[in-house]
Amino acid sequence: MGRRGASYYVEAPPPVDVNKNTEWFMYPGVWTTYILLLFFAWLLVLSVSGCSPGTAWTVVNLSHFAITYHFFHWKKGTPFAADDQGIYNRLTWWEQIDNGQQLTRNRKFLTVVPVVLYLITSHLTDYKQPMLFFNTITVVVLVVAKLPNMHKVRIFGINADI
Amino acid sequence: MVRLPYTTALTTLFSYGLLFAFGQLRDFFRQLIDWFKANDVKGYAPICLGLEDFYVRRLYMRIQDCFGRPIASAPDSWFDVVERYSNGSDKTLKLTSNTSRCLNLGSYNYLGFAAADEYCTPLVIESLKKYSSSTCSVRVDGGTTKLHTELEELVARFVGKPSSIIFGMGYATNSTIIPCLVGRGGLIISDSLNHNSIVNGARGSGATIRVFQHNSPAHLEEVLREQIAGGQPRTHRPWKKIVVIVEGIYSMEGELCKLPEIIAVCKKYKAYTYLDEAHSIGAVGQSGRGVCELLGVDPADVDIMMGTFTKSFGSCGGYIAASKEIIQHLKLSCPAHLYATSMSPPAVQQVISAIKVILGEDGSNRGAQKLVRIRENSNFFRSELTKMGFEVLGDNDSPIMPIMLYNPAKIPAFSRECLRQKVAIVTVAFPATPLLLARVRICISASHTREDLINALDVSAFVLCRIFFYSHTRKGILILIVPIFVIIHSGYQQSW
Repeated sequence: MGRRGASYYVEAPPPVDVNKNTEWFMYPGVWTTYILLLFFAWLLVLSVSGCSPGTAWTVVNLSHFAITYHFFHWKKGTPFAADDQGIYNRLTWWEQIDNGQQLTRNRKFLTVVPVVLYLITSHLTDYKQPMLFFNTITVVVLVVAKLPNMHKVRIFGINADI
Repeated sequence: MVRLPYTTALTTLFSYGLLFAFGQLRDFFRQLIDWFKANDVKGYAPICLGLEDFYVRRLYMRIQDCFGRPIASAPDSWFDVVERYSNGSDKTLKLTSNTSRCLNLGSYNYLGFAAADEYCTPLVIESLKKYSSSTCSVRVDGGTTKLHTELEELVARFVGKPSSIIFGMGYATNSTIIPCLVGRGGLIISDSLNHNSIVNGARGSGATIRVFQHNSPAHLEEVLREQIAGGQPRTHRPWKKIVVIVEGIYSMEGELCKLPEIIAVCKKYKAYTYLDEAHSIGAVGQSGRGVCELLGVDPADVDIMMGTFTKSFGSCGGYIAASKEIIQHLKLSCPAHLYATSMSPPAVQQVISAIKVILGEDGSNRGAQKLVRIRENSNFFRSELTKMGFEVLGDNDSPIMPIMLYNPAKIPAFSRECLRQKVAIVTVAFPATPLLLARVRICISASHTREDLINALDVSAFVLCRIFFYSHTRKGILILIVPIFVIIHSGYQQSW
């Protein structure tokens, strides 16, 4: 993905993706930004409230669930309707990335992140009860939503077309 | 190849994330506040669904004053920019009657024909008096004047093809011609950074579209082999025809197309080639004949050559130059020829005179001087900017030079600061460019003098100090380290 360091340049072949909504995800630096954002969110929660590290991770995990579920699996279409003539109006962001190909590196990375978050959170909360329940629901919902079999599936018609 | 410092990628993504988060927050509160407002369009569908206009409302509107600035004079090397002010944080902009005289680094005025020219303008005024400002008709009805036929022959001679056809609008040339050339069952392979007019034309044609990595003949060959072997989708029948569309100079990168290699690949697999020379015709090449002359490609090897008159010739409209059979077919089938009003006669005369000046047929060597001047200006400006530390894209000899900004906050900063210093530049961001690669696009003209360019360089140096206070790299580290310190420090005091 490119070497870290201030004066090192990273080179990448330009991605061939016509969908402007997802093309930005194929550039270098995205994975690191995602991980750094989670880390800083944890630090922020920890410094603002006086809670234990485990509770802070739980808060981060639950808000990560809410945000990523909303933007990856709920919102459909793109922010530039005029430019792409609404071809993607029925697809959520998750279904649009990598041109709809399943099991690419980006998708695998995004599937692993909630699992890793779950492991860190449950470890630091010592697998205690109320937190463990919510965290488990989080990870199950997020991972199931990202499975290849769920491509374009709308359970019980929830969030089906416009 | 996309090349950028790693920390810049991180900070740019973070900035866009922040802008996105604030936009969503504002939308959320707007929805909350509007929940209780009466809705007087009951039963009608909303004009915009959900997220559709999010980018325009929450990102573009914030820096709206950097785009669409009205001008009040001809776009010569110096022009008058109308000042605008806003009462409501850039949601609406009001015009004032003040103008400020700025150096023009944004117009596509490559050869300086945009302002009054000693040879062209008298002839244009004469043709305005003789033929009036519009033919008020379609080409096939009563809209073909002597000027139109003269221009078509002249363009064909200039470009090196047997015949040509002209249209009143450059964008419409691409978007109406491509559907006439390829249809259902055909394949269009276009460069990933092609202009919107080509994308629109390709979508309107009904052919299957595949995209190859920008300027990569190797990837083009890979795509061709895969598509020829696979055939049409689902039926796997052979393709009816394959057209590869590339541009001469890509206007967002300022770099030339690798034309000889791409033509060689297309000949090997018997695909047709379509070359869009909107920015390169008249501006590059020894005698201004475009990318083919510059790179040593025989025009007979390119099947269809397209260009526009807007950039180097100071007029409006576009042309297609190809073999007699193709042009005859287009004249009978292209909607822009059959149903659109023909090009305005003074505009046609402007192009005729401009081409005559470039070819030296007006009796002077001003054309050759202009071509030398634009090449010298471009090379001088590009080397000086690179020496100053800016990251400038584009090849040598190309009059377009994008300066990379990356960070979205630098776009309005650069634009507004330059305007304050009386230099007018054009900034380009997402979605016209990739998300991380926002840039300033500078277009050099043959009418810029050395003093103008030095003035522009001084202003750039000044803006460099003001805006780019830290270099990308140092700022990147600061953004990462300072918050860590702050948060860890406060965390220490609280619970650890």
